Amino acid sequence: MEDIRDLVAFNVDDGYIEALVRGYKSSLLTSIDYVNLTQCETLEDVRMHLNGTEYSTVLQDEPSPLSPSVIAEKCSAKLVLDFQYIRSQSTYPLTKFLDYLTYPYMIDNLVLLVTGTLHERDIGELLEKCNPLGTFPAMSTLSIVSTPEELYREILIDTPLAPYFAECVSFDDLTERNIEIIRNVLYKAYLEDFYQFCKKIGGTTEKMMCEILQFEADRRTINITLNSLGSKLSREERENLYPSIGSLVPEGTWKLARAEDVQSVHSILESYDLFRRLLQSSADNPGKSLEDAFIEYEVQLSKKTFEQQFHYGVFYGFLKLREQEIRNILWICECISQRHRSGISNYVTIF
Amino acid sequence: MASSGGGGGDRLQVVPSRMTLTQIKGRLSGANKGHSMLKKKSDALTVRLRSILKQVLERKNQSGDLCREALISLAVAKYIVGEEFKVHILENVDKSSLKVSFHSENIAGVTIPLFDKVSMDQDSTEEYEKDTNDGGGVSNQGLSNHQFHSFVSLSGLSKGGQQIATCSENFRKAADNLISLAELQTCFTLLDEAVKVTNRRVNALENVVIPRLENTVAYIISELDELEREEFFRLKLVQNWKERESKSAQEERERLERTSQGFSSFESVPQRVVDGLTLNEEDSDIIF
Repeated sequence: MEDIRDLVAFNVDDGYIEALVRGYKSSLLTSIDYVNLTQCETLEDVRMHLNGTEYSTVLQDEPSPLSPSVIAEKCSAKLVLDFQYIRSQSTYPLTKFLDYLTYPYMIDNLVLLVTGTLHERDIGELLEKCNPLGTFPAMSTLSIVSTPEELYREILIDTPLAPYFAECVSFDDLTERNIEIIRNVLYKAYLEDFYQFCKKIGGTTEKMMCEILQFEADRRTINITLNSLGSKLSREERENLYPSIGSLVPEGTWKLARAEDVQSVHSILESYDLFRRLLQSSADNPGKSLEDAFIEYEVQLSKKTFEQQFHYGVFYGFLKLREQEIRNILWICECISQRHRSGISNYVTIF
Repeated sequence: MASSGGGGGDRLQVVPSRMTLTQIKGRLSGANKGHSMLKKKSDALTVRLRSILKQVLERKNQSGDLCREALISLAVAKYIVGEEFKVHILENVDKSSLKVSFHSENIAGVTIPLFDKVSMDQDSTEEYEKDTNDGGGVSNQGLSNHQFHSFVSLSGLSKGGQQIATCSENFRKAADNLISLAELQTCFTLLDEAVKVTNRRVNALENVVIPRLENTVAYIISELDELEREEFFRLKLVQNWKERESKSAQEERERLERTSQGFSSFESVPQRVVDGLTLNEEDSDIIF
């Protein structure tokens, strides 16, 4: 029933933008492009090869000694431009959806700014380092804040992140350690909220996005577990950071919260088909970490969004694929500039 | 007089006397002793220098590899986490996690600096471990004491924490290597300088000071010998004179005895007596 409504009404508002995104998708680098890039001897060669792709205009005006980070920065700038263009063309439910996509960056930026203000850094300097996808209007005024309460009252209340803050964080202890935890708590709240939003939209969007978000949540859960094993994050704190969505909930998260070493984490994950496969693939290749396997699966999911029509998942998929593409370019450039030929093919081919 | 010195060449301007000879001989033996000691020092330093050189080479080769590895692991972390994590970590650093302290060691009279690495969060890890052993570890006080360490282990909590940890581990290794390389390098230059100075001293003693002293000794000895020979010659001369004198005196006496036995046998005797007398007077004038 809902699918039919999608079919009938989708193109009224979002048809043009979906077509736009599919157009962008077709200009993503192909495996042939990647092979060409890996053959490059210098970053100048990379520039030459990129000139034949959608990034042709990006590096045109760059002065000659290129660095990998400059290339990545310029490519990200193009992604930001494209994304902002899409967003400016969109109407309500899609606008909201696209806003949701920017929240993770907003969380990162906010955390960065708060850390910076704690150390009394220059706000202007910090703003340059913020991800432009996650800008919010009140960002530059953050310098007036001196206490955590003020931060909340004056600034956060106007951002879309306010509800996440309100429910998750008490401001008594804004120390460095807690900031890292706050970031994860915020992200957890964001994921759950986004999940609910996608459910509300329903139809194919719900089907597509819920799978992706569940995987994202599981991935966070596993990563948090693995990364906190040696640290002194208590079991309760750890469990608090796990998102309440995902295929691991509730049994898997309960077990993971009590895992003490890598072995036990692996044995818990063995009972889930997807994660057993991912673990297996990372165990088979010595140069591949579990993280790489996650990234590959994420790319796979993102590609899948393009196989159906009339839903919002394509926007998410497009953003993720472009990000992955930029990471691939960055990796290849780093390998070239450090003459690390052996690892250069560790990128994830998208198409 | 100058050309009469033994061996020619360079020597000290001294008055050749027995006292100077003793002095110069004393100086010569001092110089020989100093020479052998400096030689030993230079050998000791050279041995040390060689071993350091070996280590420096080894470390240099290593440091290339280690730095490469560190940069690659940084690239991996960037790939997994994204370019931004750098900024987050930078913002959270308020004190250095690695410091270098310095003390000095004495090798054969040369002071060389030694660098010690003082790892700051190593301490906090240890303290933390002590904490957990003592009180179960989750006390708030314990946590606030070790914010730094806990932050490092929590960065990239949701993504790429392991990659960041490997990266930091690799960079730490590279830094350790660089510290020890710097230490060896400083040692090397200082020791090299010291060896050069010592060798110059050894050579100066061997080729300049000792030969000069030896020349002086030889010169003094030859001068003294010559004086002795002169003395001997004079004594001989005096002895000859005396002998001749006593001989002529005896002849005179014999002749007088003979004349007293028969005056008529010689006519010119009075003349000769007079001659003998005048000769005697003249002799006494010349000799004494």
